[in-house]
Amino acid sequence: MPFLSYGSHRIRYELNGATDAPAYVLVNGLTQYSELWAAYRDALIGKGFRVATFDLLGQGASAKPELFISQEDQVEALRLLIDELGDGPIFLSGISFGALIALRYAILHSNRLSGLVPMSAFAELSPQLLLLGNALRTGLILGGISYLQDLLLPMNLSDSWLRPLLGNLDAVKRQGWLINDVYAVQNLMESFLDFQPLTPQLASIKTPTMILNGEFDFLTPRSLHETLRTHIADSSLVIIPNSYHAFTLEKAALTADLLARFAEDVLAKRWQGKQSVWIAPDDAGGEMTPFPAGFDHLRAIPVPRAAS
Amino acid sequence: MNQFLGPLDSSGRVPPLQQTRVSSFLVSIHGALARQLALALPGQFKAGWQTELNTQLHRETEIVSLLLRATSWAPDVMAFYNTLIWEMAWLPNPVSGVTDGRLAATIDIAALGHAAHGAIRPAALLPVEASADDPFVVALRRIEFESSRLIQTQIHFLKSDDLKPARDAVSAAVNDRHRQVRKLWAEMLDSIGIKHRADDE
Repeated sequence: MPFLSYGSHRIRYELNGATDAPAYVLVNGLTQYSELWAAYRDALIGKGFRVATFDLLGQGASAKPELFISQEDQVEALRLLIDELGDGPIFLSGISFGALIALRYAILHSNRLSGLVPMSAFAELSPQLLLLGNALRTGLILGGISYLQDLLLPMNLSDSWLRPLLGNLDAVKRQGWLINDVYAVQNLMESFLDFQPLTPQLASIKTPTMILNGEFDFLTPRSLHETLRTHIADSSLVIIPNSYHAFTLEKAALTADLLARFAEDVLAKRWQGKQSVWIAPDDAGGEMTPFPAGFDHLRAIPVPRAAS
Repeated sequence: MNQFLGPLDSSGRVPPLQQTRVSSFLVSIHGALARQLALALPGQFKAGWQTELNTQLHRETEIVSLLLRATSWAPDVMAFYNTLIWEMAWLPNPVSGVTDGRLAATIDIAALGHAAHGAIRPAALLPVEASADDPFVVALRRIEFESSRLIQTQIHFLKSDDLKPARDAVSAAVNDRHRQVRKLWAEMLDSIGIKHRADDE
């Protein structure tokens, strides 16, 4: 298990795939750990990519600073990892909290990236997200990791994913419960206490950017992704049908396929962001569909888009 | 080396020697915290969060009482030696770099409390098959469950603006206590055939 050194802290990481291949770097969500990207690692290596995964500070087998973890420290740890990958093309993707860290990296080091894929992302704390975050933190404090998982599972995953697991949820939760420590996850959450919106800095991201948002994600709904789409010039927004905040867990094959196709398009200079809006296929390999012209992609009912 | 306690007996109970070592360690550290809190608590509270200290004092005592009754104790030739090592380790070690002696001592107690409730995950030692009706199993789960709440007093104090001028000294003290507690916890687990988590190596 290799580690990077960041000050007195260790960052656990893993590199797989050919060393001269274009690389995908995948950044975990709040309570995740790098093993959860296994399906992505296998799929992306199969498509000719090198894959880098790691545990953020406070997660998994990386160091868990006892009192404070700043988001700037996470970005610096990510920079160290990306520096390990040499000079080839780098595609950076992250989910939720990891998407925020990826956005922060892209703001500072846009030139180092060939492509960026924020998933279930946000650049600011809307009142709903702020209050949900506070409630999740309270849940963590009062009920521990297990209760936080109890809240996150139904919020972030679909009925069709949950239904067959209802009788076995303890087993689903167990590895995440074992690997996460309350104080460390709380530190990650409290790194938002002095959070300032990233929105004014998003325009500095010049790299091709594909924004992925679950159709029914209410933790980070469409409006938060719209902020990214409208402020990042070379972007497109792709809506993942019938999915929630944690579609990376639920639809790994589809999402890995989208990541690979995005990177292939960028490398072949076929990519055209144009701040367009798309609907992803239901399954890997399917066709992308442009969002119907004239309709408002921010609404859940077919409302004509207001004239701008 | 195993990751979890066991092998369990046919009723899903943890072997008595493992129970004894784990409980001895927990009784030692939570007993030390109870004693130190009893001495450090001011006669008159001046801040709202200090009321949590009173709660913690009694919760630490409750943990000791619970383990004494819930553990299937077995003779342990290492008991005296281990207890001596552990009790020496928990002795107050006022934080350097803080001139107010009482504050320096309080920071150390909080650092030890943060480590006891943050670094030690007793329920995470239990295999899935452990009996939900066994008192030792229930006690470990209860201690870990309560820890997420009890650690909040330490977090509130150690991260408070009052300690901002001494933040580096405070962070170093907490880090030192975590290292110390993790090391002794890992050594105790190693002595009963348990491999601790990779992040604590």
